[in-house]
Amino acid sequence: MKARMDIRFFLALGTVLLAGYALYSSIDWPLRTALFPRVIGIPLLLLALTEMILSAVGVEKEREGHAVDFELTTDVDPVIARKRTVAILGWTLGFLALIVVIGFPIAVPLFVFLYLKLVGKEGWLLTLILTALSWLFIEGLFNRLLHIPFPEGWIFSLLG
Amino acid sequence: MIDALIGGLLAVLQWKAFSFMLIGIGVGFWVGLLPGIGGLTSLALMLPFIYNMTPVEAFAFLLGMHSVTATTGDITSILFGVPGEGSAAATVLDGHAMAKKGEAGRALGAALMSSLVGAVIGALALALSIPVMRPLVLTFGAPELFTLAIMGIAFISSLSGQGGRGLVRGFLAGLLGLLLSLVGLDPQAAIERFTFGQLYLWDGVALVPFIIGLFAIPEIIDLAVRGTSIAGDLPQGNLSSGVWEGIKDTFRHFWLTVRCSLAGTFIGFMPGLGGSVAQWVAYGHAAQSARDAKERSGFGKGDVRGVLGPGAANNSKEGGSLIPTVAFGIPGSAAMAILLGAFLIQGIRPGLDMLDKHLTLTFSMVWTMVIANIITVAISLFFLNQLAKLTLVRGSILIPFILFLAFIGAYTEHNHLGDLITLLVFGLLGYLMIRCGWPRAPLVLGFVLGNIAEINFYISTTRYGITWLLRPAVLILIVLTLLAILYPLIRFPKRKATMAEDAV
Repeated sequence: MKARMDIRFFLALGTVLLAGYALYSSIDWPLRTALFPRVIGIPLLLLALTEMILSAVGVEKEREGHAVDFELTTDVDPVIARKRTVAILGWTLGFLALIVVIGFPIAVPLFVFLYLKLVGKEGWLLTLILTALSWLFIEGLFNRLLHIPFPEGWIFSLLG
Repeated sequence: MIDALIGGLLAVLQWKAFSFMLIGIGVGFWVGLLPGIGGLTSLALMLPFIYNMTPVEAFAFLLGMHSVTATTGDITSILFGVPGEGSAAATVLDGHAMAKKGEAGRALGAALMSSLVGAVIGALALALSIPVMRPLVLTFGAPELFTLAIMGIAFISSLSGQGGRGLVRGFLAGLLGLLLSLVGLDPQAAIERFTFGQLYLWDGVALVPFIIGLFAIPEIIDLAVRGTSIAGDLPQGNLSSGVWEGIKDTFRHFWLTVRCSLAGTFIGFMPGLGGSVAQWVAYGHAAQSARDAKERSGFGKGDVRGVLGPGAANNSKEGGSLIPTVAFGIPGSAAMAILLGAFLIQGIRPGLDMLDKHLTLTFSMVWTMVIANIITVAISLFFLNQLAKLTLVRGSILIPFILFLAFIGAYTEHNHLGDLITLLVFGLLGYLMIRCGWPRAPLVLGFVLGNIAEINFYISTTRYGITWLLRPAVLILIVLTLLAILYPLIRFPKRKATMAEDAV
């Protein structure tokens, strides 16, 4: 039987490593600190090893193991789906980078504007209205009304 | 008693108390809708406003607000897959799946009506159960609370997948959740565990970014991949009739709604278990109500029972958690701990006085919970059609707003950039879990119960040694846990065999 090294195998492997790390870390702790991590870590390690082996040998009956959870769409061509997944992950990370660099109050309207214009290819009027709305929301509700302390962007700290 | 019951109603209906309740409902409505601004935060923020109010006005205002956040939190969960409240996360699974099938109206109708039924049952429990529940709570020590926590995780883990492999993945997720809950300072010795030297992790993994990431990020990725609106290109039915259908669903599955409400009340009643637990236990019970494996596989894909269970439990737990707060001065949840502060501000001591001297006030709380929920459901029904139409808006317009709400919601936990990283890390984990067929519900329940389980496990072993396992209530709970684990393995093959025989 040929071993399969797919995403299921790697998720199980990651869990094996995590459980192993948890047990290894607990060696130096006093018993009262280490007790529960060990009680959890040992069965987690055993179950993760079972899942890893089962994933490697590819044993899975039709519908078995099927989770009570939502399923990702299968209607889109896998190549396009992969491209879009990478794109949205890129946008999400880009949003985080924007927040770090220029701070929440500017990053939010800028992100909304860029996404609507570049991905949504929306018209100028709708883009500008929605961008203004997002700015009003963050500035009016979160900044002025709720006084949530947004850190200033890294670039502004640098400029003093 | 009857006099106090009527007196409580009349007190709430006085114009001043009623007006404060309406203001509370207004605040709670929006707080529930916005991810991240939790009911807990708003309760704390509104506490200083009650200094000049009478006790009835103060509790009408605070409880009116608090009861509503649990109801409206379901609306964002259903429409966008972003839980409006941490305690509305379970509704995402089937509620948002229904919205994607073009049944947003039905899901919203079901969520609101089951919330109302849950709130009424919770309030009734508060009114009736104090003399009955007192001895029960006194028999529950650390060993029972630990076993109860493990039973909850076992219950949801065993019901979250199909067959032996599903069981393995369910328990893997539950144990992983428990392990994640251990991040931070050890509660006994204050020793750092899995913090990687980061001060941010001393308090543990932040709950709100964890839940929003786990649920919202995979939905956003899926919406971007589909390139359509949330409801896709499906033909939209009449939304009004959809809402009505959802309301009727509550009564079609009335006993399920009642059972989940009672479960929510009981969990709310147990100090420390909290609302995040109630919804998942109710979801597990709703999934258990499936007659066969095929029917259960519909959970997570848009089964209305997956909306009714958590919706009902989420609201009934409020009445339940008020019981120990009012009767014993032991808060049943973090929100109730804040409410205890309101008692002190008003110069009232919870306990025997609340069942005697202040009985009218106690009943005014019961009435506030019922009336606030009736008003919220009535108001929401007017707006539901408009709200449900949001599922027809193009995904490319919604995505930046959903992402923005997810980021802001996560950030409000600690106002720290670490919250955003937590959001992304657990967003990625949620996405991988879905791709690999691992259920997310046991992970959340394990995470929420981890701290309670550890503390009670430690107390049990140090206080009783191994003998805590022989306590009668613990033995009963262990038997129930084993049944929960073995039940799917016994039940479904048996049904399969019966169906095969029928086919012959």
